[in-house]
Amino acid sequence: MGFPLLSLIILTPATGAAVLIFLRSDDAVRWTALGVTLVDLALTVVLLAGFDTATHEMQFTEARPWVPALGITYALGVDGISALFVFLTALLGSVSVLASWVAIERRVKAFMISLLAMQALMLGVFTALDLFLFYVCWEAMLIPMYLIIGVWGGEGRVYAALKFFLYTLAGSLLFLVGVVVLYFQGGETFDMLVLMQQDLPFGVQSWLFFAFLVAFAVKVPMVPVHTWLPDAHVQAPTAGSIILAGVLLKMGAYGFLRFSLPMLPEATLYYSTLMLAISALAIVYGGFLALAQDDLKKLVAYSSISHMGFVTLGIFALNARGLEGSILQMFNHGITTGALFLFVGLIYERTHTRSIAEYGGLMKVAPVYTAFLALFTLSSMALPGTNAFVGELLVLSGAFGANLAFGAVAILGATLSAAYLLGMYRKVALGPVRVRAGPTLRDVNAREMAAILPLAAFVLWVGLYPKPFLDIIDTSVTHLLVEVQSRGRSQ
Amino acid sequence: MSAAVLYQWVLASLPEIVVVTGACILLILGQLIRRGQEHLIVWASVAVVLIAALATFLLAGEVRPAYSGMFIVDRFAVFFKFVFYLATVLTFLLSRKYADIEGIGISEYYVLLLFSLSGMMIMASATDLLSIYVGLELMVLCTYVLTGFLRRERRSNEAALKYVILGAVSTGMFLYGVSLVYGLTGTTALDGMAAAVTGGRRDPALLLAVVFVVAGLVFKIGAVPFHMWLPDVYEGAPTTVTAFMSVAPKAAGFAVILRVFLNPLVAASDVWIIVAAIGVVTMALGSFAALVQDNFKRLLAYSSIAHAGFVILGVVAGGPAGIASVMLYLLIYAFMTLGIFAVVVMMRNGDFSGEAIPDYAGFAKSHPGLAFLMLLFLFSLAGIPPTAGFFAKFYVLVALVEQGFVALAVVAVLLSAVAAYFYIRVVMVIYMREPERSFDPALTPSVRATLALTAAGTIGIGLFPAWFLRLAQTSVFGG
Repeated sequence: MGFPLLSLIILTPATGAAVLIFLRSDDAVRWTALGVTLVDLALTVVLLAGFDTATHEMQFTEARPWVPALGITYALGVDGISALFVFLTALLGSVSVLASWVAIERRVKAFMISLLAMQALMLGVFTALDLFLFYVCWEAMLIPMYLIIGVWGGEGRVYAALKFFLYTLAGSLLFLVGVVVLYFQGGETFDMLVLMQQDLPFGVQSWLFFAFLVAFAVKVPMVPVHTWLPDAHVQAPTAGSIILAGVLLKMGAYGFLRFSLPMLPEATLYYSTLMLAISALAIVYGGFLALAQDDLKKLVAYSSISHMGFVTLGIFALNARGLEGSILQMFNHGITTGALFLFVGLIYERTHTRSIAEYGGLMKVAPVYTAFLALFTLSSMALPGTNAFVGELLVLSGAFGANLAFGAVAILGATLSAAYLLGMYRKVALGPVRVRAGPTLRDVNAREMAAILPLAAFVLWVGLYPKPFLDIIDTSVTHLLVEVQSRGRSQ
Repeated sequence: MSAAVLYQWVLASLPEIVVVTGACILLILGQLIRRGQEHLIVWASVAVVLIAALATFLLAGEVRPAYSGMFIVDRFAVFFKFVFYLATVLTFLLSRKYADIEGIGISEYYVLLLFSLSGMMIMASATDLLSIYVGLELMVLCTYVLTGFLRRERRSNEAALKYVILGAVSTGMFLYGVSLVYGLTGTTALDGMAAAVTGGRRDPALLLAVVFVVAGLVFKIGAVPFHMWLPDVYEGAPTTVTAFMSVAPKAAGFAVILRVFLNPLVAASDVWIIVAAIGVVTMALGSFAALVQDNFKRLLAYSSIAHAGFVILGVVAGGPAGIASVMLYLLIYAFMTLGIFAVVVMMRNGDFSGEAIPDYAGFAKSHPGLAFLMLLFLFSLAGIPPTAGFFAKFYVLVALVEQGFVALAVVAVLLSAVAAYFYIRVVMVIYMREPERSFDPALTPSVRATLALTAAGTIGIGLFPAWFLRLAQTSVFGG
């Protein structure tokens, strides 16, 4: 066991949160939070720099006994499937702090503590190699997120927070029973690497598959358990939306990749068509819902449902292109949708409205803002040259390889996204100046640019040169696929 | 009976003797003490419990049967006694200021708590239906009186009356069951019963006897269908007594249930279905009824019914893991419940009752630290990690699944999602409403100490459950 880099990555925001308790002034709180997230970001860059793309094995592993009587360990590690998410979490952590710099006016300290606690727990989810540890982090995230939505959210925040909490809790609790069943079926261990090697009977796999599906589907969210998402997104403060869309939604898909596929390969193969169907449904249904929205935030929220449909479509295509595409697409979605929520937040801070009908001609008033908005809008609809193009193309080609019909439906969804995104951009940016604040509206300032620029850089980097990102994913995905195909069919 | 045997018996029951003697001395001292010096009684009571704890600790090394098979000191009993000590000492610490505010600061209050403690200690060690009965009655007689301690308050009187009448009925049922057992098996000793039950074919009359014994015990832990008294009594009793009752007597009830059930009745397997049904219905009723409560104490009463239901599922799981899960759950429950009650007690000051949930609106704004503690206790009661409450539920689930009761586990977690709702509702009031008036909590040093200790237990056991789990596992009887 070498240098505990992963522990350090998790403990940095956790310690930061503890330090914030003792600070008095709001500005000190803001700067400290920013500093902590930047240090954490730097650490994840170190992690990626030291990441060995040639192996599918877990790297930077650590293990210490935690509850030996039950075989629970504090075990961490990353492979190609989780490495990018660790980085994404840290990146969006810094962006969230910047995004809430002035947007959060009351109880700044408590907010930043929640934000940092959230970050530590999300990093814990992506690095845990012990099922119990994974579950603890997964579930504990509910507390800070509940507070972020419920205390600092919009008008209907209390209802939205409660709905978010109960949906995810109900899903997770079934997952918990699944975890305990898996513990006994897998020879009384919570070690995920050991559990991935178990060949469980098909009947058990089926039950576990659906127990896990409930939890993961709520987080993704898949249709029909998606209804908490628009409420949560609309009411959450900007930073909350960024974290929700950027990282939290990835956890469900990550759960499929980490648990359903390797641990329940036979059930995964058996139910893959069903999952493809639900994914295709989500793509189209989310697209139509987005088309009908007048509220900017709701539009982005529903588009997330559609985009996450692509992710699950790629996963259950169960071929290399589909899987790689969906992991890359998760990363892309985190960047792009995180940015879009940031943009919604920026304009809302200035005009105090999110109704698309009240905007218009923003390009004349805030040219820099609209230029970047154009970039992220194009990225969201997967224009060639942007990040989402690469991901979506891979997913679609994977989907066509798996099932022609669902591939065709997904294409329809992609067209829909062009319709609602271009429509939104036209109404907001072009035409006569209709915006409430009128010509006095400020364009983005330096601090806001600091949050926007790195996201924009990733949009273009992944779009133009995706190789380094795909390299990280590639080996692990290939290995995962071989495992699923061989162990799933051999029984 | 030789002097040596007598010495051994006295030695085994030394902690009980300490508590009873201490209580008697305090009763006399209480009459001599002048006004304004009541705190002496508090500290003397704490000292009595600490001495008893020390004696218990020193005796914990080996198994000591005593009084011709009616009493035993084993790790199981020791574990429960420490849960009782913890609950009692924390109740003493909480009572000091509260008793002044409510005007009940007289020595009998503390003496009754001590007698009640001794009854529970006898229950934990009892290995005969008659010694169980003696402990049980000693415990409940004291709690009857404590419930009615707010003499000027109508609902306190009403609660006490209700408690006495229903309690007497349950005691009658219990005794009837005991007499049936004696008539059928010729013994009231638990191991004698075990031999009789496992020896021959199953006797329907014995099953009936068991049902009566069960009914008597289930009443004490407030499980369905004998739960009706609980919300009224919890609401009417002084809050410190409610805190005490929701933890200690409940743990004592479970200690007896574990001993009675997992010892002689393993063979009478039909009982399991009844017990499992009681557990599920209790959880469901507690969770759903709590949803509509506006009074915090009533809410906590229903919550304690729901928790009792969950613990019963641990009894259903049985085996060493099941017993250990029940014991660990009760220990953790003691920390988080006393923690949340400490907050309620603390809120009782001036025109605040601390009982109406809207009273807590905006608490997070005026007292962020205390509000955070409340958040911690409430999330722990709801079973959200990384708090101890999660680990308690988790280990019961492990025990259930190990025995193959997966369906029960699923029902249990779904009902805890329902239960989570009403805890979250209180968090919502604390954090998401605007304060209506300024708060002035009665935050004395002893209340602070209670909060610190319970919070440390709630978060500490959650993060580092290993030691406590091993403690529970090694304290399982017969192992």
